Amino acid sequence: MSHWEPKIVSFLCHWCSYGAADLAGVSRMEYPPNIRVIRIPCTGRMSPKFILAAFRQGADGVWVSG
Amino acid sequence: MKERIKRETRNILNEGWDGVLGLMNRWGQIGPYLFRDPEELEDIEIEPRYNLAKTIQLMLNKRPDLRIAAVVRGCDVRALRELEEMGKIKTQGLRLIGITCSHEQAEICNCEKPIYDTLNCTGCWKCIEACKEQAIERVNVCPILLPSEYDVGLAKRKAIYIPYAQAVPLKAIRDSEHCLKLAGVMDCKGCETACMANAILHEDHEQIDEIEVGSVILSPGFEPFDPSKFDNYNYANHPNVITSMEFERILSASGPTEGHLVRMSDHKEPKKIAWFQCIGSRDLNRSGNAFCSSVCCMYAIKEAVIAKEHAGSDLDCAIFFMDMRTHGKDFERFYESARDQHGVRFIRSRVHTIDPSAEDDLTVHYITENGSFESENFDLIVLSVGLQTPPQVIELANKLGVELTDGNFCKTDSFEPVATSRKGIYVCGAFQSPKDIPQSVVDASAAASAAGKILSDVRNTLTKTPEVIPETDIVGQRPKIGVFVCKCGINIAGVVDVPAVTEYAASLPYVEYVTNNLYTCSQDTQDTMSKVIKEKELNRVVVAACTPKTHEALFQETLINAGLNKYLFEMCNIRNQDSWVHKNNPELATEKAKDLVRMSITKVALMEPLEEAELDVNQTAMVLGGGISGMASARSLSRQGYETHIIEKSSSLGGQALNLYHTFDGGDVQKKLSKLVDDIETDKKIHVHLNTTVTEVEGFVGNFKSTLSNNGSQEVLEHGIAVLATGGKPLKPDEYSYGKDSRILTSLELDKKFIENDSLIDSLNTAVFIQCVGSREPDRPYCSRVCCTHSIKNALELKKRNPDMSIFILYRDIRTYGEREYLYQKARKAGIVFIRFSLNNKPEVNLQGDQLRVKVRDHILHRPLEISADLVTLASAIVPNKDEKLANFFKLPTNDDGFFIEKHAKLGPSEFATDGVFLCGLAHYPKPIDESIAQGLAAASRAVTLLSRKNILMSGTVAMTNPSYCSSCGVCISVCPYSAPSFIPEDDRFFPGRAQINPVLCKGCGLCVASCRSGAIHLKGFDNDQIFAQIFSLNEAV
Repeated sequence: MSHWEPKIVSFLCHWCSYGAADLAGVSRMEYPPNIRVIRIPCTGRMSPKFILAAFRQGADGVWVSG
Repeated sequence: MKERIKRETRNILNEGWDGVLGLMNRWGQIGPYLFRDPEELEDIEIEPRYNLAKTIQLMLNKRPDLRIAAVVRGCDVRALRELEEMGKIKTQGLRLIGITCSHEQAEICNCEKPIYDTLNCTGCWKCIEACKEQAIERVNVCPILLPSEYDVGLAKRKAIYIPYAQAVPLKAIRDSEHCLKLAGVMDCKGCETACMANAILHEDHEQIDEIEVGSVILSPGFEPFDPSKFDNYNYANHPNVITSMEFERILSASGPTEGHLVRMSDHKEPKKIAWFQCIGSRDLNRSGNAFCSSVCCMYAIKEAVIAKEHAGSDLDCAIFFMDMRTHGKDFERFYESARDQHGVRFIRSRVHTIDPSAEDDLTVHYITENGSFESENFDLIVLSVGLQTPPQVIELANKLGVELTDGNFCKTDSFEPVATSRKGIYVCGAFQSPKDIPQSVVDASAAASAAGKILSDVRNTLTKTPEVIPETDIVGQRPKIGVFVCKCGINIAGVVDVPAVTEYAASLPYVEYVTNNLYTCSQDTQDTMSKVIKEKELNRVVVAACTPKTHEALFQETLINAGLNKYLFEMCNIRNQDSWVHKNNPELATEKAKDLVRMSITKVALMEPLEEAELDVNQTAMVLGGGISGMASARSLSRQGYETHIIEKSSSLGGQALNLYHTFDGGDVQKKLSKLVDDIETDKKIHVHLNTTVTEVEGFVGNFKSTLSNNGSQEVLEHGIAVLATGGKPLKPDEYSYGKDSRILTSLELDKKFIENDSLIDSLNTAVFIQCVGSREPDRPYCSRVCCTHSIKNALELKKRNPDMSIFILYRDIRTYGEREYLYQKARKAGIVFIRFSLNNKPEVNLQGDQLRVKVRDHILHRPLEISADLVTLASAIVPNKDEKLANFFKLPTNDDGFFIEKHAKLGPSEFATDGVFLCGLAHYPKPIDESIAQGLAAASRAVTLLSRKNILMSGTVAMTNPSYCSSCGVCISVCPYSAPSFIPEDDRFFPGRAQINPVLCKGCGLCVASCRSGAIHLKGFDNDQIFAQIFSLNEAV
């Protein structure tokens, strides 16, 4: 288990968090590459089904930000 | 440049190349010549333009074994590339040496792509030291280190640098003063060697362009006051005394400490921070700035609250101030919550000296309000520096012949708040007067409106219509996806294995074509892309590169040029969210890139061509409210060419301005108001409807239908936009014995007496003004903004008429912001007595027989004081004219105080979230005449951005219902913030009572889609199947 790494799926709002993730890149910040971003137009678009589907695909964590 | 060409060509010949093709002056004529001997190169010429592509083609075709170099311009390079693509030339044996074109040359050639500036820069940062941690690994290209202006000297930058992370355009610039090469110190070529886009041109020079314009808007801004000259504050000597600007950078995530709150001397986390207000403001003696900078109180509170958020609530924050000036919308509430919830200490005291003490700490001594003497230690002291006009702006103003005020701000008139003293030149922002963001934004729109007014005749005369390329019908076609993977120089390719990603993409279903590019965004790649799409008949495109936020529109344009619907596109972010953030983990970054590409491909396969709804904008405007801001708005709209209707519920135009005597800058309100009313009444394009109310509103942006009701008769007005200028009114006080005696007046009632030249005014000996009557109270926790200035102005007027009169102003904080502060200074000089009271110890007004007696506790003597007055003026609050029906018609929100809530508190102060509806005047927040007029102009300006387009294409990514699934529950209608869904009318033939969505109003947020229990709503471009496709293709990823 010592090498276990969580797999995280994130749903980011196009207008804020997605832009922030871009800015993290522009500012050359670093974070672990265990994350896959799905861009959504607004967190209002978020459906519980997306979260369940992500978990069913094996995600260890789902992060919704907006 | 000639010297560089000589040097480079000489090196090439020395390296053993067969020759250099260039220009030579022989017998007075300049023509092509193949240089073979380095000695001859002394005679090489680079002017005039002489196209060599054809010569090169001939030579290479005749002697394919030759290895030659050619000195060519950008147009030649493009021609050679074309020839190579057509297979007419082979360039293996060819080496190119580029010549920069001069600006003049580009103009002579009418060149669209001249190479004379940094157009080629892609903002890859390669030329700059990329980051602090990577300094050793990455080539530290530029050897120069200078204090960064953006980080106010707290961090360093190079002589070639991108000013800040959000710069537009995000491109590197060079500091010509400090660059070794540009300054002629040495032949440094660090950045030139590193740049892969050939964007660095040492020969680049300053150019002077002449542009003919009909109007100029000045928005040169301010500079923060430099407190170095105050040796008593030790700013220049002590690292832990900093300015508020420096503190902003320390709090910022992109700042020198990445938002970690530490002090500069030892990088220790401070436990106690103090702010000193009015540094370089309200201080004529030492700083020369007599005005109030308007914004510092609020920013200091904000900084204190954010500091506590960063460092935890045990951080002690103390703000030393004179008057707390939180006169902006919702600012008073923020002040109260900073004090009561966050525990920020507010100390009313002006500290004289900051003494350095042990361990880099700082000691201050001060006297409290109670008169006790205190000493306190702080870890860090922030000087809240004021805003002032920089000397170069003063110089500019002098050059332009624009008059300045005593405080060196641009001189304007209350009734023309953005017009300078010179016709056609307008002003906005902190150069007009020190101000915050919302007011600057209002001003900016107002200045645009004022300029638009004088330019309305030439509107759209310089526009070009783009060629429309017919769209290919792809319906029913199997997806044929093209994938373009970008290297972004080494930005992506330096971390992610781009060839591996490209190869992987080629293995995925429906992928027809895959390639990678050095810079996918460059113009030549765009042309190639467009060609490939057509040739390979691609019907879906994925670009794996940077971020859709900056580049989606560019690539969509390429799709349009290739005849593809622009929504058949998906961008995959493998730079900002991959290579840049995982630079130490290239393997996993490559895996991530593959996953992201796969997710994008599965999504794009499901994309459909989308239509963009077209909206016709009715060219008529409706302004609700005939007060001063409504009239200003209407006048601006009509002068910009639009029919405008003013709807006024009372029987006359003018609103509250009818009750006002003078503006703060001494303007006669009645005289100027009657001129404005006259302008409105004689304007043929303005239709005034008095005694009229709106009883119904139908429709939406561009197509409103309002029912106007006038004494029972009804009329329908069709209009494209609406401006709400419904105004406010004075609160009728229920305290201080108001209404019990004719000598107790409100501020407006006193103005009325001035206007009417009432004899009462001349019989007065003692007058008392009481401030904050109904404002800043638990019931109305906002500041009415205008009352301090108004009372002081009226007090001075009384003093002018009778210099012997005793006048007392009882106040809580004097809020004469900006250059209104001069009035406060003048009043104190004139002997007007200011006595401060607190909310829990308010003055009392009593009638004792015939006598009016005002009791108040003097804040200096700490003793009760009784004043026998002839006149008591109550500065009563401004309250909005609440009209819930009207708010409902347009679905407009109001705050707890009844003022309308604008689209965005900072960036959208004059418009609503509801499209096509705009806002100005007292309905937004209490404000004086100059700001009301500015906002009226601003509302008109925002409205014209819609009106001037006549018809608008809306986004294609909108929600759509499938009415056969709809259960008519109405959830979508209640959740939508933009009023886009509605029920289909009951008398409709198809699906009556089911939900429909107006694509014109829909912003594509997807709120309704997620909340629809019947699955009846689809969001085009982000539909369930598309998002699920991305999630399901994660399986290899997670």
